[in-house]
Amino acid sequence: MTLHGVDVYLWTPETPQLPITIGKFTLTLISNRGTRVWPPPAPDIKLLDWPRCRYVSDEVVTNEEVESLVAELTAAGWTWTKLQKLFREDGVNLYSEPY
Amino acid sequence: MAHQVCLIRGDGTGPELVAAVEVIFRAANVSIDWIEVEAGLKCVEAGLPIVPEETIAKIREIGVGLKAPMTTPIGKGSVSPNVTLRKKLDLYACVRPVRSLPGVVTPFTNLDIVIFRENTEDLYAQIEYMVTPTVAQSIKVISEFGCERIIRAAFEYARANGRKQVVGVHKANIMKIADGLFLRTFNRIKAEYPEIEAWDNIVDNQCMQLVTRWKNYDMLVMENLYGDIVSDLAAGMMGGLGVAPGANYGEGCALFEAVHGSAPKYTGMNKVNPTALLLSGTLMLDHLGMPEKRIAIEGALEATLGRGTKTYDLGGSATTSSFAEAVASELKG
Repeated sequence: MTLHGVDVYLWTPETPQLPITIGKFTLTLISNRGTRVWPPPAPDIKLLDWPRCRYVSDEVVTNEEVESLVAELTAAGWTWTKLQKLFREDGVNLYSEPY
Repeated sequence: MAHQVCLIRGDGTGPELVAAVEVIFRAANVSIDWIEVEAGLKCVEAGLPIVPEETIAKIREIGVGLKAPMTTPIGKGSVSPNVTLRKKLDLYACVRPVRSLPGVVTPFTNLDIVIFRENTEDLYAQIEYMVTPTVAQSIKVISEFGCERIIRAAFEYARANGRKQVVGVHKANIMKIADGLFLRTFNRIKAEYPEIEAWDNIVDNQCMQLVTRWKNYDMLVMENLYGDIVSDLAAGMMGGLGVAPGANYGEGCALFEAVHGSAPKYTGMNKVNPTALLLSGTLMLDHLGMPEKRIAIEGALEATLGRGTKTYDLGGSATTSSFAEAVASELKG
């Protein structure tokens, strides 16, 4: 099982405008209650103040690189409430995709 | 002037079921302008998403749809078309009314219960991870907003339809935070409807109560997972998924559907029961402001079943089309 990214759950009322790349990571999606809201088109649904923001790298990353990404988001003023590391095994993502 | 309705013909036996409903609607002089939209296996085979964005946009524009069963492809990455529609159209209230039908014999006589299921969050947010090589985690999302709108929808339905009682179903004795939020919200909102008797039950006890004391219940409201399970239990009490209808409501949009599968092994055999899709269609007629058509069609359906004309799942020998013709004859007669 290798580390490839992190889901960052933010406390913010709207879909956040985030950097597309941070270090080795690329922002691949933002979801709200399990429904993809970014990249567009975003469905016309009511949003919770708890978007999930997925940063992923095709390369294996380290714990320190994940922590550095999170620190950068915090320094930019975002409040995260939950983090979940994203793992792969034999090329298979060990995490689900949103609708 | 005809009402515009989006129509998804579905996969497997879906098109045969839609044809049966069309026969009956014509016999009842129901004026509908069907706008066909695509979803299902043929979209996947054409390299499209199982529910294309154009379909979502059209249903949202028109505001109402009727959906026949679709097949969820098996395989990695496949998604449920039903869940996709509910989430992308934000159809937060799944309403499953169950009642006794003449000629459909079950132990549960005088059954008449309406189940409100929250349709957009809970474990169906499908947020899952392997957090270590041997530990999986699934996140249950319960929001005050999500609880409030489904609970309020249930009480508003009760008030509008003369229902006397709403029971909130949960497991807050164990999930004190997530289900506790649902229960607190239920207790807050019930106070706004003093004319409606309201209390709460723990979900396991509620299931036992349903099969032993079903006549004591009128309406149930609950979160997504419990609603999925309890509404199928209730459909079984009614006579099976072949007869139980379903409706999904959001803000300015509604989608009516038979909740059973597409039964691909029966495709083209003219065999399956159209009752569930027909009763979903009559819920739709009510929604469109045609209650008199709903009453007429349901009366014809009950007369047909009462005479013993039934499809194989109910112990009869009628085909899909002959059953539809029998119901249509009741309307023309």
